[in-house]
Amino acid sequence: MTVHSENGLTRPMLTAQNVTKTYQQHVAVNDVSLEVSQGEVVSIIGPSGAGKSTFLRCMNFLEVPTSGTVTIGERSITIGPDHKSPSRKEVAALRRGAGMVFQSFNLFPHLTVLRNVSLPQERVLGRSRSEADERSRALLERVGLSQKADAYPSKCSGGQQQRVAIARALALDPPVMLFDEPTSALDPEVGAEVLAVMKELARDGMTMIVVTHEMAFARDVSDRMLVMADGGVLECGDPRVIMKQPTHPRTERFLSAVLDR
Amino acid sequence: MIESLRYIAIGIGATLTITSSAFVIGAILGLPLAALRRSQFMVLRAMARVYVELVRSVPPLVWLFLVFFGLPQAGVSLVPLAAAILTFSLIAAAYMSEIYRGGLAALGRGQWEASSAVGLSPLDTARFILGPQVFRVVGPTMATYGIGLLKDSALASTIGVVEITFRAGAEAQRTGSGLTVFLTAGIFYLLLSLPLALASRRVDSRLRARYSIA
Repeated sequence: MTVHSENGLTRPMLTAQNVTKTYQQHVAVNDVSLEVSQGEVVSIIGPSGAGKSTFLRCMNFLEVPTSGTVTIGERSITIGPDHKSPSRKEVAALRRGAGMVFQSFNLFPHLTVLRNVSLPQERVLGRSRSEADERSRALLERVGLSQKADAYPSKCSGGQQQRVAIARALALDPPVMLFDEPTSALDPEVGAEVLAVMKELARDGMTMIVVTHEMAFARDVSDRMLVMADGGVLECGDPRVIMKQPTHPRTERFLSAVLDR
Repeated sequence: MIESLRYIAIGIGATLTITSSAFVIGAILGLPLAALRRSQFMVLRAMARVYVELVRSVPPLVWLFLVFFGLPQAGVSLVPLAAAILTFSLIAAAYMSEIYRGGLAALGRGQWEASSAVGLSPLDTARFILGPQVFRVVGPTMATYGIGLLKDSALASTIGVVEITFRAGAEAQRTGSGLTVFLTAGIFYLLLSLPLALASRRVDSRLRARYSIA
């Protein structure tokens, strides 16, 4: 199933309009726009330094864009010369719309797996401890880690830690999930178990944006593929079409490099 | 000998009072000071920085004299013990804030980012995520500083606080046997600092084993 937001059938779940991020002289993201419909999975690929992660991090304001508008659900923040910088509350409200999974997992090492997943629910959503734990256990079951609930992250493999991180993000019931190279720090074998969980999420209709180097995942799971280089978009469309017949020579070069590996 | 021992031992109370009060007050005041060092407002950052640098560049003895002999000119007269506690607390706050700052830096950006990504407020992030981890990292450093504080507290004898060194000085003058008297004082300090050092090492290795924090 391919859902293009352009067809106007589905309301966009997440919109980035003309997002630009500059650091001093360096333009990391240059005027990138993206519309993601409900249930759509978008992969962002491209060489390192392309600005993929920076763009993704602009979606939940881990990086504050230099200019542009980000809308998730009903919440929208515009950054620009005519707009005052957003309050902490506005940013927090926008973030509620997107769960984030990092390349380096970033679990809380001093908390058990269960507490990692439960604590944000209690503090952010105001769930009771038993309510939060119940939800956490259900999610840990879903990512295949119920037996690790009482372990500390250091006693989990990388793949297990990343699956806990996915459960932690899902526990807040975000309408959109952002993945920032979720398998790049993992052995391919271990990465596969993380990808399996992500595939299942996609099948269940989760709206996802995934920065990745996993070309098979991008081709098989995502509805659309965004190819970035040097902070800009090279092309965007059906992953199978792009991978078979890239329109941009730069895409072709990148694809042949990663596919030959 | 036994008589000297008993005489000097009376000073232990004041030594421990100064050390523990300054340690606790400094550990508490160091928190907001460390937070100021990371403030988004430059003026606040600069103020905290100046405080820390000022405290660290002037000898503790000078601060002690400033508080005890200087403050009365400004209309604030303190008894020696209070002056010593105040001075060492203010000094400890500066050092503790630096210790916290180092601990925070050691945590890296990932913990901040994960906390904000899941929507924790800055206060919750400090309380549930950064705080517990920082204290585990800085615990041993704080204990080491505590031992230093214990030794620095001897300076309070110069303004007449009746602590170990003060009593030892008086006893040495009375008996004329400086060697045994000050050896005794040294052994008292050693005995007071040893448990702190041992406890910190024990807690440290236990926590490391449990959480695998480098």
